[in-house]
Amino acid sequence: MSVDTVTEGETETALLTVDDVKVHFPIRRGIVVERTVGHVRAVDGVSLSIDAGKTYGLVGESGCGKTTLGRAVLRLEEPTAGTVTLGDTEVTGLRPERLRRFRSKMQMVFQDPLGSLNPRHNVEMLLAEPLKVHGVGSKTERRDLARETLEAVGLPVSVLERYPHEFSGGQRQRLGIARALMLRPDLIVCDEPVSALDVSIQAQVMNLLDELQDEFGLTYLVIAHDLAVVRHLSDRVGVMYLGKLVEEADSETIYEHPRHPYTKALLSAVPQPDPEVEASRERIILTGDLPSPANPPSGCRFRTRCPWAQDVCAEKEPEWREAASGHKVACHFDL
Amino acid sequence: MALLEVEDLRVAFGGTTAVDGVDFQVDQGQVVGLVGESGCGKSVTSLAIMGLLPRRGATVSGRARFDGVDLLTLPRSDMRRRRGSDLAMVFQDPLSSLNPVVKIGTQITEVLERHRGLRGEAATKEAEHLLDRVGIPDPRRRLGEYPHQLSGGMRQRVLIAIAVACAPRLLIADEPTTALDVTIQAQILELLKDLVDAEGTALLMITHDLGVVAGLCDEVNVLYSGRVVESATAPDLFALPTHPYTVGLLNSIPRLDLPIHEPLKPIRGSIADVIRWQDGCAFAPRCDRVTEKCVEGEPPLIGASHFHRCVMAEEVA
Repeated sequence: MSVDTVTEGETETALLTVDDVKVHFPIRRGIVVERTVGHVRAVDGVSLSIDAGKTYGLVGESGCGKTTLGRAVLRLEEPTAGTVTLGDTEVTGLRPERLRRFRSKMQMVFQDPLGSLNPRHNVEMLLAEPLKVHGVGSKTERRDLARETLEAVGLPVSVLERYPHEFSGGQRQRLGIARALMLRPDLIVCDEPVSALDVSIQAQVMNLLDELQDEFGLTYLVIAHDLAVVRHLSDRVGVMYLGKLVEEADSETIYEHPRHPYTKALLSAVPQPDPEVEASRERIILTGDLPSPANPPSGCRFRTRCPWAQDVCAEKEPEWREAASGHKVACHFDL
Repeated sequence: MALLEVEDLRVAFGGTTAVDGVDFQVDQGQVVGLVGESGCGKSVTSLAIMGLLPRRGATVSGRARFDGVDLLTLPRSDMRRRRGSDLAMVFQDPLSSLNPVVKIGTQITEVLERHRGLRGEAATKEAEHLLDRVGIPDPRRRLGEYPHQLSGGMRQRVLIAIAVACAPRLLIADEPTTALDVTIQAQILELLKDLVDAEGTALLMITHDLGVVAGLCDEVNVLYSGRVVESATAPDLFALPTHPYTVGLLNSIPRLDLPIHEPLKPIRGSIADVIRWQDGCAFAPRCDRVTEKCVEGEPPLIGASHFHRCVMAEEVA
């Protein structure tokens, strides 16, 4: 896929456009003289766009490249090829100092809230830091903004003096979200925002993300392995496999009419909390494990685990085609 | 008589009570679930049954009768003989449960040698057969490999192979699929189901995932703050969840088979908001149906076949 996505019209209000982004990590051998003996193709040509105020859910299993893509969007990982555009600015073309300043418009919420908060900083320092880095406001203004943001994420202002270890997992994730909100960004990349939390707390944080989106007009890129979480949060969903998107559609459509065999298998593998549904369900059990992204299979990357694979799948890489309006899939067949 | 009868099991670490009077049973060939969130005492319960808690530091009381013999008072050497042959365990994290510097083959034959007296080629043959049984392709080659050379799903299969090596009558699986991807999780659950059906092994499944429970378990026990708050057959529990905590858990889960974009109904607060069971219902501080009755002493376990520990349940229903 190339630039034509930008001209399709649907992207008129697109806030974020990712065009054919690749992230390849070199595999190096040798002690004195390092040679590059190959590349891990973590992300191997992904294009997507997110409309302002909407949520795009990126789902896939470990090692599919979803986190790397999220980091590449913020240029925390340097893309090997392709462009990322946020608003009118091409993020991939920014020089270091401009990029540093531009980061106030795009923030990230990490999976592990304890690991991403400095244990020796209290809440006020943690929340004020992004503002300091970007030279925003005086000390009192920063404190006021911190109070306001704490209230928005449902924490009492009395926690300003406290340290990360004093909070529960759910509260820490609220802090992580508050921190990402401090600069009032346009885009927040949420990398597995609830997977470290217990179910009762997961629901609280998911509802919070929903509320904040309305309140601050945020655009989210949500990265998660849990299909039910992604379905709940997202307007549009992309399924990744081994560095590439295999299917993309509105979240309702993709869950009701999955077209790619991998999406079908993923959906059928999620256990539902209802014994009747479980007993009557037809499950597609995939055999084997994810192949190495350093040496992906020829043709269709999914063919080694696909229950419907044919000869053509090994020979030709399937095109990224629009199977129905707004429903894209990379498969030779109409399943 | 049930294969495993746990009665009034209590575990404390110093002044902290982790398990506060847990009762449940596992029958021959049955799959029983222990469900709850972090800190509810589900893992500590299983470690206590297996006799794997540290002797110093952990105070265990109550009874855990396996075939009529109380495992908690068994001398260490007897327990060691039973562990692996009568009852075996599969842990959550397969990488840290396997010895990283010992070949897979040796780790399996070790069990066969100790409990079944197999040696040399006979042991290797049996190990190969076991790996084949749990669905590992090319088992002969895998025997000579180290844990880091296997994927997460394969490692979990190896652990299961080790656990079933001596055909135990009870298998305890503590979050066996939590560290795995959904497609791999489906494979492992299928394998466990298959083993239970084929060998008649009883399975005690410890998990936080109500979806896993719905697909696998015959009986379910929901734990909160170290006690069983609801206990029923799986169809009953999901059709008529009675304790407000069970109801809250089910409402918190985003589901694929329900309408999209409906706001979730989370349980408020966190497990840190708790009172002692002696003073009332530990869930009361987070419960929407809380009344004064809830904090007037210990709530009993009520019911005939579907048990729950909520004094308000009858009035609401």
